[in-house]
Amino acid sequence: MDLTIDPDELNMCVQCGLCLPSCPTFRVTGDETRSPRGRIALMRAVQNDDAPLTPEVLEAFDTCVQCRGCEPACPSGVPYGHLMERTREALADDGSLTPVWQRWALKPLNQPRLLQIGTTAMAVAQRLKVLPDRLGAPADLPLRHHALAPSATVDAPGRETVFLFTGCVMDVWQSKVHAAAQRVLEAADVAVIPTNRLAPCCGALHTHAGLGDDARARAEQLIGALPERPILVDSAGCGAAMKDYGHLLDTEAAREFSARVFDIQEWLAPRVDQLPQVDKVPVRVAVQDPCHLRHVQRVHEATRTVLAPFVQTLVELDDDGLCCGAGGAYSVLQPELAGLIRERKVEAIDRARPDLVASANPGCSMHLAGAGVRTIHPMQLIDAAISKTPL
Amino acid sequence: MTDELEDELRRALPATQVRGSRIRRRRGSDAGRSRVRTDSAERALLRRDASVFDGGVAGPVCFPETAAEVQAIVRIANAHGRAIVPRGAGTGLAGGAIPLGAPIVIALTRMNRILEVDTINRVAWVEPGVINLDLSKYLRPMGYHFAPDPSSQQVCTIGGNLANNSGGPHCLAYGVTDTHIIATEVVLPSGDIVMLGGLDPEPDGLDLRGAFVGGEGTLGIATKIAVRLTKNPPAVRTLLLSFGHVADAANTVSAVIAAGIVPAAMEVMDQRITIAVENYVHAGYPIDAAAVLLAEVEGLEGGVQIDADRIGEIGRAHGATDVRLAASDRERALLWKGRKTAFGAIAQIKPDYYLHDTVVPRAKLAEVLAQVYEIADRHELLVMNVFHAGDGNLHPLLIFDGREPGVLDRVHEAGAEIVRASLAAGGVLSGEHGIGVEKQAYMSEQFSDDDLDHQNRLRQSFDPHCRSNPGKVIPMGHSCADIQALRRVPTGVWG
Repeated sequence: MDLTIDPDELNMCVQCGLCLPSCPTFRVTGDETRSPRGRIALMRAVQNDDAPLTPEVLEAFDTCVQCRGCEPACPSGVPYGHLMERTREALADDGSLTPVWQRWALKPLNQPRLLQIGTTAMAVAQRLKVLPDRLGAPADLPLRHHALAPSATVDAPGRETVFLFTGCVMDVWQSKVHAAAQRVLEAADVAVIPTNRLAPCCGALHTHAGLGDDARARAEQLIGALPERPILVDSAGCGAAMKDYGHLLDTEAAREFSARVFDIQEWLAPRVDQLPQVDKVPVRVAVQDPCHLRHVQRVHEATRTVLAPFVQTLVELDDDGLCCGAGGAYSVLQPELAGLIRERKVEAIDRARPDLVASANPGCSMHLAGAGVRTIHPMQLIDAAISKTPL
Repeated sequence: MTDELEDELRRALPATQVRGSRIRRRRGSDAGRSRVRTDSAERALLRRDASVFDGGVAGPVCFPETAAEVQAIVRIANAHGRAIVPRGAGTGLAGGAIPLGAPIVIALTRMNRILEVDTINRVAWVEPGVINLDLSKYLRPMGYHFAPDPSSQQVCTIGGNLANNSGGPHCLAYGVTDTHIIATEVVLPSGDIVMLGGLDPEPDGLDLRGAFVGGEGTLGIATKIAVRLTKNPPAVRTLLLSFGHVADAANTVSAVIAAGIVPAAMEVMDQRITIAVENYVHAGYPIDAAAVLLAEVEGLEGGVQIDADRIGEIGRAHGATDVRLAASDRERALLWKGRKTAFGAIAQIKPDYYLHDTVVPRAKLAEVLAQVYEIADRHELLVMNVFHAGDGNLHPLLIFDGREPGVLDRVHEAGAEIVRASLAAGGVLSGEHGIGVEKQAYMSEQFSDDDLDHQNRLRQSFDPHCRSNPGKVIPMGHSCADIQALRRVPTGVWG
């Protein structure tokens, strides 16, 4: 079967295996079919040699977290993420991957009202203690949604004005992170326009699931809705997806848009002096790098730059940025593997003995919180330091 | 019969054992799937390691987690007259782990626990699937490391290091893997479990440990390994020397050793590979130099500075155009990352490589290198040289695009000539990658018939039926029992 992968890109892997230890699923299974090298060999077998799409071959593709930790490990620069995205899309189009229920489950992401109704229903279920843990929702789902308002200083002379991308699930489940991000930006004299319903969803989860048409439609919608200004993103997964629109759509407008997308820490790092000088929060904080910040956007150092003036002790994890297993919807779709991968991460966190773990991605935060780890977004930490609110 | 074999293996390796796991499991879930794999995807992937050789078809693939389970698999294989092949991370470059004759593949990746560390006696017990670099990272806070550091150390396993008696850049000063294996528990091809070597400084009796290390899986399977711990050096200096000619770099290496300095490592890369590597790591490697020499000295603060200065002087006297001292640990780490990922970087130029591993006397390095370039030119192939210069261990990489018709024949012809040129210069077939299937045919050019017959007798005393990794190392003419094991394959069953 033609997976529509560019033959030259597919041919780039020399099968050296240097990627294996950077792959979370290989780490917990020791199994070649759960490794990047193995998955690429299977893509070749399917596309070049017409190997049959057995359940085991589909499983090998389906169990990839798409963390892309293998990419920085690859000396030949194999674009693994793009290979896997092409594969998923070809197999989803073919009906082999991403069953109908999953496609329907992703539909409401673009419908803020439906998401809010759903969240309220889940919040009620949570309070009645009938919400399944497997959904991985945060422990304090809000009953009501409060949309953020634009700063009063938008377009005031001498003020930088930026979009703050609020997204879909994160907006209804964790809007307090966005609120903290907006306060931090305002404290740095930056005016903020929260995107709210202007730009409801980035399409990252659709890309992961191989639903390319949906992902491209989301991208077109955002590009039309958010002109000119810098677009700041406080979710590493969304930011990585939006920075990839240039590749996804292959248009000039998309490339121009992607060049304006910044992770919020990345954008703030060179402006950290604009933030007020305050007492450091007396905590020991471990930085957990979301994969799409470290391996895809590769701007994870910025998180340290912005946190350093505000917390007493910053510590590193010793696992070389290995994935935590969250992977967008992965922790819901592959709970066993996601759980095993998380155990490794929790062990690394335990070795670092932090009071708090700072993670710049909502999926990682929720997944780790599910294992009892106390997580917080870097923006919430800085916000707490500036406003002198106890954590 | 096949179903019976699978059933027996499945009973020996019950599903779902992912050790230490706290999570719940569901039927049919990924984590809880069988540890005996017979599907076509798994078997197809395990036909290959990191070499260009394509094996036959892997039989059932087993993922044992204890020595007792390895023993059970070996006994079941014996009862069914089937061969076995052990496998670690699959980074071998000589085809040592590829399946010949539908063997049962024993993947040791899940036996990856560090069992015990004793810093007073400087020994650690580990399972064979522990990744080399994971062990050194684990030991770092205690001030120790495992000295053999193959370029693939971020992924290769201690079991694989033991099987191939692997080397690495720092083996120049510290010796190869053999020096660092104190004892090992082995499941013999008969299914018996024995301990070879011991923690005593001078174990009594014949040194069977020494015979077993480097056995490439033909003598049995190591299931527990006592490794020697090496103290981390108090001071390190890393130098990068640039040269206008590859020969100047090679001659510098000989001159350094001749001057009585034994650096911890001396590595040379030629221009083509340096460009590819620099493009990946951005360590500041000079891309306009014909060759670079990466030299490292370790020891006490006063001594390393003197040695580093002298290496710089010797380099300049031999035509070095630039001598740079790594200014920080970060720079040093980046330089090493570049050197150690060199093989993997070649797809930037061509998608396939065939890597040789001959060793020549240091004084002949420049001469043999010139022949290597000449041979590649004659066969219209690109060659890149990256090598453990201090040991005289060459790693010429013939790079090509396997889709080009006839190219693989030219690669094999050029490879054979490189091997012969190395042997003619007084060298040997393999520095550290092992013989596997790759260099089997050349064994008779290095060893006499009597040599090979005696090697085979040692092998048969461990494995009388030649069922442990058959078809490897000892050439066929000297190992007729292997042919029987390979013929005994139930043909068609696994196709």
